This record gives sequence, structure tokens and C-alpha cells, in this order.
Amino acid sequence: MNHILTLIVFFPIVAGIFAFLVHPKSVRVFGISVATIEFILSIILWLGFDANTSGIQFVEYIPLISQFGMSYYLGVDGISLFLVILSTFMTMVALIAVSIKTDIKNLVIAVLFLETTMVGVFLSLDIILFYLFWEASLVPMLYIIGAWGSERRIYAAIKFFLYTFAGSVLMLVGILYMGYLFYEATGMWSFAITDWYQMALPFGTQLWLFGAFFLAFAIKVPMFPFHTWLPYAHGQAPTIGSVILAAVLLKMGTYGFVRFSLPLFPDASIYFMIPIAIIAVIMVIYAAMVAYAQEDMKQVIAYSSISHMGIIILGTFAMNAEGITGSIFLMISHGIVSGALFMLVGVIYDRRHTKMMSQFGGLASVMPTFATIYGIMLMASVGLPLTIGFVGEFLSLMGFYRIDWVITLFAGTGIILGALYMLTLYKRSFFGEVTNEENRSLKDLNGKELSALIPLVILVVLLGVYPKPILGPIDLSVKKMIQTMDNKVVTKEAKDLIYKANSIGGGE
Amino acid sequence: MEKYLYITLFAPLLGSLIAALFAAQKKMLFTGIITSILIGISFLSSVILLNYIDGDTILHVKMMDWISAGNIDIPFGFVVDQVSVIMMVTVTLVSTVVHVYSIGYMEHDKSFNRFFSYLSAFVFSMLILVMSDNFAGLFIGWEGVGLCSWLLIGFWYHKHSASWAANEAFIMNRIADLGMLMGLFLIYWKVGSLQYDIVFANIVNLDVTTLTWIGVFLFIGAMGKSAQFPLHTWLADAMEGPTPVSALIHAATMVTAGVYLVIRAGEIYALIPEVGYVIASLGAFVAVFAASMALVNRDLKRIIAYSTLSQLGYMFVAAGLGAYWIALFHLMTHAFFKSLLFLGAGNVMHAMNDELDIKKMGGLYDSMKATAILMTLASIALAGIYPFAGFFSKDKILEVAFNHEAYLLWFALFIGAALTAFYSFRLVMLVFFGEKVHKKLGFHPHEVQPFVIYALTPLALLAIVAGFFEHSFHAFVTDLLKDYEFTLDHSIALILIFATSAVALSGIGFAVYKYSRGGFSESWEKKGIYKLLINQYYIPKFYELTIQKPLYNLSKFAWQKIDLKIVDATVDMIARVLYGTGDTARKIQSGNLSSMLRWMVAGVAILLVLAIFIRPMV
Repeated sequence: MNHILTLIVFFPIVAGIFAFLVHPKSVRVFGISVATIEFILSIILWLGFDANTSGIQFVEYIPLISQFGMSYYLGVDGISLFLVILSTFMTMVALIAVSIKTDIKNLVIAVLFLETTMVGVFLSLDIILFYLFWEASLVPMLYIIGAWGSERRIYAAIKFFLYTFAGSVLMLVGILYMGYLFYEATGMWSFAITDWYQMALPFGTQLWLFGAFFLAFAIKVPMFPFHTWLPYAHGQAPTIGSVILAAVLLKMGTYGFVRFSLPLFPDASIYFMIPIAIIAVIMVIYAAMVAYAQEDMKQVIAYSSISHMGIIILGTFAMNAEGITGSIFLMISHGIVSGALFMLVGVIYDRRHTKMMSQFGGLASVMPTFATIYGIMLMASVGLPLTIGFVGEFLSLMGFYRIDWVITLFAGTGIILGALYMLTLYKRSFFGEVTNEENRSLKDLNGKELSALIPLVILVVLLGVYPKPILGPIDLSVKKMIQTMDNKVVTKEAKDLIYKANSIGGGE
Repeated sequence: MEKYLYITLFAPLLGSLIAALFAAQKKMLFTGIITSILIGISFLSSVILLNYIDGDTILHVKMMDWISAGNIDIPFGFVVDQVSVIMMVTVTLVSTVVHVYSIGYMEHDKSFNRFFSYLSAFVFSMLILVMSDNFAGLFIGWEGVGLCSWLLIGFWYHKHSASWAANEAFIMNRIADLGMLMGLFLIYWKVGSLQYDIVFANIVNLDVTTLTWIGVFLFIGAMGKSAQFPLHTWLADAMEGPTPVSALIHAATMVTAGVYLVIRAGEIYALIPEVGYVIASLGAFVAVFAASMALVNRDLKRIIAYSTLSQLGYMFVAAGLGAYWIALFHLMTHAFFKSLLFLGAGNVMHAMNDELDIKKMGGLYDSMKATAILMTLASIALAGIYPFAGFFSKDKILEVAFNHEAYLLWFALFIGAALTAFYSFRLVMLVFFGEKVHKKLGFHPHEVQPFVIYALTPLALLAIVAGFFEHSFHAFVTDLLKDYEFTLDHSIALILIFATSAVALSGIGFAVYKYSRGGFSESWEKKGIYKLLINQYYIPKFYELTIQKPLYNLSKFAWQKIDLKIVDATVDMIARVLYGTGDTARKIQSGNLSSMLRWMVAGVAILLVLAIFIRPMV
């Protein structure tokens, strides 16, 4: 178990290199096998993970360029553990469901490379390493969208790449400056996040650094008004691209807020809390409305992702354990649910080669199993209790209620608008009579699709009823992080706010 | 005793899952039978619990943890006390009847199995709602019944109107649910828990403003489920669902969840009587408002739906004024006679091939005597005539209003009582008596199978006798609920009873008189008041024009104008500017030696200027 993190990070890419040698006919099976082993490895990691410790576990530390403090530094805690499992799980499921025939070999290799970068982002504790994985993740996705997408795939792929890339450049400047500050303060270089956690920064510096990191994360999430790459990317990407993009890549941005912005710049985070919360509310409402106006099923889900990410941001900036734990749980649940929804859209797209809702209607009678699973995912998406979607949404909103109830109320309209666009989608596609003759002979889900979707359905219900195994470790690590924040805040306002956000009762 | 609690709760879930296994298959009679049996078992074990619970013993179990994060700790905990056990018995009793009834009613439906799966799932959710020992658990049930209601209203999903009504119900309820969630959050951040016992033990320490907000938020939640104005329009549209659904969900159980919430949170509302008074006023308004719409409607089920709305208004008056046990009592008796009325209506619909217009019926008494008798009994109970159940519970509510010196509310309820009596018997007269219009239209009505009628007899019996349990009911539930003090003089109370009975009787008398002579003339339908009422005060139209359409247009605008034309265009413009600059600057690299030398000179000049004037880090 000493090097399990290294194994988890590099197994997919090494296997991906070997995949060049595999015959194209068997490469799909090869890919699924690798992804399954990777998933099992991440489960072994979970089993070995001590759920009663809040700190970082399975640490691997090898200095790389010691004179500049750069190192190979991996570790996992409650916050990152489940994002890693989410990445490996969704990659596995997405590969099982893949229906692309052309150039399947390249696709599998790209996905495996992508998996390494995703897992690497969540496991890196050295920020240079983090940055490498963060940027490297763009390349396989660029390729996936650009090579297997629909008509405007090149435009979408380049937009996705350049937009997110441009955002990250400023982060790199921030990282270097932060490293320099650390050097000035201690006399030695370090890019280890755990070292940085120890260092309190003056308020003014925090503001600048927060800003530098913010843009990178905000574009990745994506936060309004930096979101417009997302509908194109989803609209053009093949199903597997959308699944991984929505399930995992977006979570890198919110993970960045939790892992870096909050504990490194607590005063700045609290200073910008309300403006960011307002942006989050705009995301929730605006994206939900835009989703409601869509004709294309996949775009509805793409915009609904933005809406849900707004709730995640809100929970993250609640500055209390309820909200942050909730937002991390919501990252997991949104990953599962949106991934499943994109897969379901893929199912119908494979059959009809259209995603327009007006082309459907009455599908419930033609494809009952498909309709049932879609319905379950839809209910999880609108956050029905006892599905996975409720827990995170409830906790995130509850957390932010402590900060400001009016903002929470507006963000809460997301549960109404979410029901509105999702039920409208469902009604237009699944209810009514079959009007389009082409739909009359559609086949229900086949074995391959079922084997990808059923695990997701099980998870949606299981974790909705019993979220504790996941909530527990997350909560422990989050509490520790809040402690870190509390220890290093420099302004009194921030100190008071952290105290208020985490205490019950008292006047407003 | 715990095992009975779990049996009551999980038997319906088991039934639902069994039926769900066969949901996609052809009708199988046994799914109907097995779910009915399991609901019956659930009913029996809740009766056992009813006998077990008394002043000192209640049942409180924690099954397992659900959500815990930060300071919050929400378990799956269940409590069987005087209030929840009454709800459990009522819900499971009506559910059992409805299940058995549905075996007959859904006989020819191809989705027979799916129907029973949903119906049992509903019962399970409703039981979670009433049995939970905390607000979050209640919210699980709250959303669960919402989901089942959505599934069941839209059960015949091929009909556009059905799926539309289902969505309307769900979305409108969600609006209210947001209010409820806000209430939960506020409670949590003030008390630190959502467990009923902890919350109620600590609320006395909270200031009035906070309590008022809690009360308002929770009541907004209650308004959605119980379809109070202005969130009432979904209930009438929900009649698109199969009739057993209307009987169970949209009359007897789910719509009373809001009343249950106010009763359950009575300890909060007792501290904020002003909010209670507002609730009562809204209730009284809805009691008359809904009754007025029932006066003119021609749709058999919608009339009963409006009547349900109106009766919910009565319950809220009692609950709002602090007479919690009376609200609960009316909730219970109403469940019996209203579901009976609906199920009777279902028989009529079957006989009339799903025709709902009561003007096309008439004289059905000859072809379906049993149904006619049952529905008449239910209508008498609804009208509140001694000795039927409705008399005891409804009269008490009027007394409460009078006792509270809320004479305006009393008067509204008094008028409501007259209207109720009138529209109930208008319905009975138009359907079962008078001219046989249906003959001309070519209908051949026939009575339903005997077992369906037998299934209804328990409800009929209870509609007649339930009122006589008033005193034992009072003694039982006031162990938990705050008792209501009547300061009214006995003679005044007696006068009130006579007055109400008289007005109800005259309402019946007028309806019988008028409709045995052919009813009102057609000219009434030209009058403004008729148009106003038949169009539901134009409220659905108003919502469509002021909310639905503008929201959709605004959404379209947000997408096509803001998102594409502003936000995204800005991004593309930045990209284009960068590209354009590069494209222009490319010309510098022309390879032409003389022009490149010129550029070099310019560059050197700029560098020199910079070197002289800007000297960082000296």
C-alpha cells in the first residue's frame, strides 16, 4: 500500500501506452479492463483509508528539484478520496457504454491518458505537479472533442482548450508568486500545499493571489459569465466526452476552490464571499432559465450542470462544515447524475441521430426501461430526498443559509426551476402519443447500456439513502480545513465570520 | 411493539417493489391482490399500535443514521404518538379500501401492475411523512408523496392534459417546498437540530421574530401540499389522474399533509397566534372561495376537488386558531366521507364510460342504487348533518371561530356550510335523480361489481358513525396536543349548532327543490358571475399570462439574446481581436530587408526609451 497513489495515477497512462500495441478489435475490452482495475485500485485505496483521521494519508514524497522546492508529492484525504473514486468509476462506466466504432483505439488511449491527469489533479499535493496535471488534462479532451465530435467539433474543441488554458496561465503566475513569497518568509523554496497551509499572508496579498487563482477555477467550473465554452463542448463532444467532462473535469474547478482558495487565502475568500455567492445565484437561476429555453436535450443537461455548479459554489463559500461537506458531496452526486444523464442522451442519439426534443414524444411507451432510468436520474437531478442529489443540495443550501438567507432563497429557486426544465424535458420526450413514426420501432436499452447504467442507478439510490460512508470522511477533512482557515486568518472580520458560520443560535 | 411500527411502514414498500417488478408486463391480478393484502397488514398493525399508545406510552425508534455533517445529525427516526397513530390508521384504512377498489376500477387498464406499484409507494411515502420524528424525515415523505402524486396524476401519460397537470402539481408544490426548506434551515441554525422533541423543547428560548419566520416558512410549505390560495390551481387539474388516486391522494391523505404539519408544529404556532390567525383567515377565505367555484362546475370530479379545497380551508381555520385536535378530527372524518364520495364518483364514471359532465347524467339512481346511496350518505356527511361524521367535526370548527370572537371567520364558514350543502346536493340531484339525460346520449350505465361496493362499506360506516368517537378522540389526542379551551356559553353553542344545521339543511333543501324542477335556466350562464366562477376567477389564465408565458419568453431571451449575443459574442470577439492583431502584425515578418531594418530601428528606439525612463528594482 506504500505506493498505491503512484500506481493509481500512472497505471492508466502506462496501460494507455501499451494499448498502442493492442489489436483494434480488442482494444475496447482492454480499455474496460484497465479502467476496471483502476477502479478496483481506487476502492482498495478507500478500504485502506482510515476514515477516523482527518489528515492526509498514503503520502508519497520524492524531491524532484529540491533547490526550487519542487517535488513529487501525492496524498489523499477525505476531500480528494471520493473525487478520485468518482473519476475512476465514471471512466469505467463511460468506457463500458461507449458506442463509437471509428478509431476506437485512439479513443481508448485518449480516455486512459485523461484518467491519469484527472486522478493526478486530485492527488497532487505539490502545486507544480497539480498544475502539470491540470493543464495536461486539456489535451486528451481536446482530442476527444475534436476527433469524435459533431459538425462544429473543431470550433468547440479549440474554444474549450484556449478558454480554459488562458484562465490557467494567470494561476501559474499566482503559483510562482506564492512560491516566491514562501521563499521570502522562510528562506527556502516549497511548492508543497501542506507547507503553504502553514503560512499566513497579509490581507492585500491574499486578494491578488485569490484573484489569480479565481479565474482559472471559475472558467473550469464554469462560473457565469465564463461558461459559454461549456454548451459548445457538450453540444459537440461525443457521449463519452460529455460524461467525463461533466462528471469529473468540471469538479476540478470546485475542487480547486476547496483545496487552494479557501485554506490558502481565507481572508480573501471571506472578503469575496458575497460577490461570489451572487455570481453563484446568477448561475443557478440564469442557467436554469436558459436550460428551460433549449430545444436540444443535451443542451438542457449542459446548462443544468452550470446551474448545479452554482449550488456547489454557494456551499463551498458557506465557510462552514455543513456547506462545504455538502458541496463536495454534491460534486460527487452531480458527477454521477449528470454523467448518467449524458449517457442516456447518448443512448437515444445512437438510435435516432438527433437530440431535439421535438423529434420525440411518447418514448415512455416504446422504451419503458429507458424511460424509468431516465426518470430516476431526473428525480436525482432535481434533488428528490432519498436520491443522491438531495443530500448535497440540502447541505449546501443549509450551509449558506447561515451566511445570508436572502441569497439562499434565490439560490433555492434552483429547485423549482430545476423541476421546471427537467419535467418539461421529460414531458416533451417521454409523455404523450408517439407522433414520429421513426420512434415507434426504437429498441429499449440493450445489455451493454444496462450494464453501464444500472450501477449508476444503484449508487443514486444507495447513497441517497445512506450517504454516511462518504459524508463521514469528507466531513472530518473539511472540519480540519476550517480549523486551518481559522488558525491563519489575519482579519478580525474573517475570524468572526468563521466563528459565526460554524455556530448555532445567537442573533443575526 | 417496534416490529409493528416497521410492519406498518414497510409493508406498503414491499408491495410497491413487488408490483414494480412486473410494472412493464401485462396485467397480473395478483399484484393488485398482494399490494392490497400488504396495505391491509399495514392497517392492522397500525390498529394494534393505536391500542398500544396511551397517555404515557409512545413509541420512538431510531432506525439508522441518514445525514450527518458539521453539527447536523439527521437519523431515520420514527415516532408513533397520539397524532401520528391517528394519521397512520386513517391513511392505511383509506388506502386499503382504495387498493381493493382499484382492483375493480383498473381492471381493464394495461398498466395495472404499474398502478399498484405507484399507489403503494405513495402509501409508504405518506407513512414516512406522518411517522418521522424530525422535520427532515417529514420532508422525505413530503417530497415522496409529491413524486407519487406526479406519477399518478400523469399515469395516463399519453394524454397531454394528464402529463401537463402532473408537472403543474409537481412544480407548484416545489415552490412551496422551497419555503418549507427555508423553515428547516432556520430551525436548524437556531436550535441546532431538526428532531421534533429537541426543537419543541427549545423554541421557547427563541425570539418572536424568528418564530414568526419559522411559522411563515413552514406554512408556505403547507400551502403547497394542501393547495391553499394562491397555490391551489394544481388540485383541480390533478383530477386528470385515475379516480382512486383522486380519492386517496387528492382528497383523503396527501393534501391534508399541510394540515398535519401545522398540527405537528402546533407548539411553534401556539407561540405566534398572529401567524395562526392569518392561517385561519386564509383558510376561511379558501373555504368560501373554493365552495363558490364548486357551485357552477359541471365536471363531477372537479366539484369534489373544490369541495376538498374548501374543507381543507376549514381544517386550517381550526389549526390556525389553536384547536389542533379539532383540525385533526375533521381531517380524519373528512378522509372517510370524501374518499367515499370520490370512489362513488369513480363508479359513476365507469358507468358513464368516463364521461364527467354531470349535466349529461341524471336519473342514474335506477341503474346504480348502491352507489347512489353511498354517495348520498357521503354528501350528507359532507354537508354536516346530524348524526353524520361531518356534523361533529365541522360544527366544532365553527364553534372555535365563534369562541375566538373571530366573527368574520365564523360568518365565512357559516356561508361555506350553506354552499357546501348546496353544491353537494346539486351534484347528487344532477347525477342520480331528475331527467335521464344520459339515455338520450346513448349511455348504458350499469352498477360496478359487488366486491367494489363491499369495499366501500367501511368508509360509509365510518362516515356515519365516526362523529360519535369525538370524546374518546379528544381525550386521546389531547395527551399530546394542546387542548382547546371553550369559553363559549353552552346555550350559545347550542344556538350555533342549530343555526349551522339549519343553514346546511336549507342548502340541501334548496338544491333538491331547484334541481328536481329542472335546475337553473340557461340564461344564468350568460351572467358575469357565472363566467367568473366557471373560469375559476380567471386565476389559471392569469398565471398563464403573468408567469408561465413571461418566464418562457424571458428564458428564450436569456438564451438567444444574452447568452449567445452578449456573453458568448464577447468571448469570441476577444478571440477575434487577438487573432486579428496577430494577423496584422504578421506583415512585419515580410522578409523584406529594408522594412525589417526600419522595424528594428523602431524597436531599438523603444528599448532605449524604456531603459532610460523605467528602472525597476534599483
